[in-house]
Amino acid sequence: MTVSRALHRHGAPILQPLLFITLLLGGIGWLQAVLDQRQNRDVIQIEELSQLPRGEYLKPALFGYNNLGADVLWLRLLQVLGKKKNTTDEYDWIYHAMDVITTLDPHYDYVYYVGGVVLTNLANRVDLSNQLLEKGFKENSTVWNIPFLLGYNYYFVLGDAAKAAKYIEAAARLPGGPAYLPGLASRMYAEASNPDTALQFLETLWRQTQDSEMREVLERRAKEVMIERDIQVLESAVQQYRSKQGSYPKALHDLIANGYLNHLPQEPFGGFYELDSKTGMVRSSTHPDRLKVFRLDKRGKV
Amino acid sequence: MKVFSIAFNTFRENLRDKLLYNLLIFALLMIGSSLILMRLTLGEFHRLILDIGLGSINFFGVLIAIFVGIGLVSKEIEKKTIYTIVSKPVARFQFLLGKYLGLSLTLVINTAIMTAGLLAVLYFQDVPIHSVLFKALGMIMLEFMVVTAVALLFSTFSSATLSAIFTLAIYVIGHLTPDLKAFGQKMEGFGQTVLEGMYYVLPNLERFNLKGHVTHQMDVPAGDLLMIAAYGMAYTAFLLMLASVIFQRRDFR
Repeated sequence: MTVSRALHRHGAPILQPLLFITLLLGGIGWLQAVLDQRQNRDVIQIEELSQLPRGEYLKPALFGYNNLGADVLWLRLLQVLGKKKNTTDEYDWIYHAMDVITTLDPHYDYVYYVGGVVLTNLANRVDLSNQLLEKGFKENSTVWNIPFLLGYNYYFVLGDAAKAAKYIEAAARLPGGPAYLPGLASRMYAEASNPDTALQFLETLWRQTQDSEMREVLERRAKEVMIERDIQVLESAVQQYRSKQGSYPKALHDLIANGYLNHLPQEPFGGFYELDSKTGMVRSSTHPDRLKVFRLDKRGKV
Repeated sequence: MKVFSIAFNTFRENLRDKLLYNLLIFALLMIGSSLILMRLTLGEFHRLILDIGLGSINFFGVLIAIFVGIGLVSKEIEKKTIYTIVSKPVARFQFLLGKYLGLSLTLVINTAIMTAGLLAVLYFQDVPIHSVLFKALGMIMLEFMVVTAVALLFSTFSSATLSAIFTLAIYVIGHLTPDLKAFGQKMEGFGQTVLEGMYYVLPNLERFNLKGHVTHQMDVPAGDLLMIAAYGMAYTAFLLMLASVIFQRRDFR
């Protein structure tokens, strides 16, 4: 009776339904919270990211909103990036998610950069880091920090100075990079026993540079590389001398007297080269330290 | 003159349907993205505003183009209001053109207001505004024109629900046609002919997508833009002609 009366009355009661609506809303919120507690939200998000379809398949499904899709995925990735303890397999999904994001938007250079740093330094997965960075370098040929990170990986982690020098050289040729890049590349070439390439590179850069201060820096660097080249020549002659004569020469002039060298190279800073006849090492009087990149992992060894 | 009065009437009808309420959602999205997402993201915050702004301008516009477009003719037939127009000395193609222009006007105004909102957010967040943004918006407008014409075409011979399905299908296919060509090239003989034929006949809506260019500030050569604009106009004209031919033979009962 009361129900039908309520239905037929012109001004239907408002309080009762409002009460029900509020109760239902509260119940919905409570259920949400309970369901959330039953599962770990971070784990779910990570699982979702690790099971993303490959970028090639996801891209057409976004109907031209692929940049927005890359943004959304990037936001989601950022929320869980540092959440779990780092295990090896965990970084596979980070790489996968970043690979998908950069396939959706190949020019999202910041993702390559963060990926390169995170995968190398946090995950110890330099292979994945290089894979991502190589992809980024192919798509973005004008962003200097992608080849820079590649150079970093090859030099510090993989210990391949020659390859590192190639990437740092590429980075140094791109606009926007810091001024020390050419110097770094030439140091790497020098360390990779390739001082001629380093000199060539410095000369090219010197020609491209109009700034007189920068040119001075480059000239100084070129002279340092020349010292490295000379020392390499001298030391190999010393080694030849030792293998034939049985002992190290007393002085560098002995090399010329015995026909191992035609002449002693000129020290470019006006100094001279001296030989340690006990170890067979040659050093320059003006630059006693060899030209090398300061490396954290080799500190104390060299 | 008759065309314009029908167009203006359609526009007023859209306003009466509270169509511009979508601007409210757009405003919320823009404010939300610039206030909240800014704190969540890392790195390029600018691109987030641009992507969300352009994405939602595009998305809302396409929704309007499809779901209002499909009712342009079929609604008049359902409500029997078409008799009052057809009985007047108005050619049927004029009626169609008026309807089309009316919705286009709504879309232009809608897009203009959204663009103003986007520009305001960009300005206050100190995001540099490049000319390619306006080129991209122009291309988005062209996409609306094509999609509206598709919806109108289906609306002339089919019910609103079916038209919605067809138009959505064309929209989806329109963004996938480059794949059609790619698949076609891998096939031989008849299959290739069919797929390539479909590629050339169906609208290639990806051509109007310059949103990525805006995010990365890559300029588009003026020649390319002109060609794309010509493509969009030609396709729209083709659809409208087809629609008026079908509508001409239509019998209202």
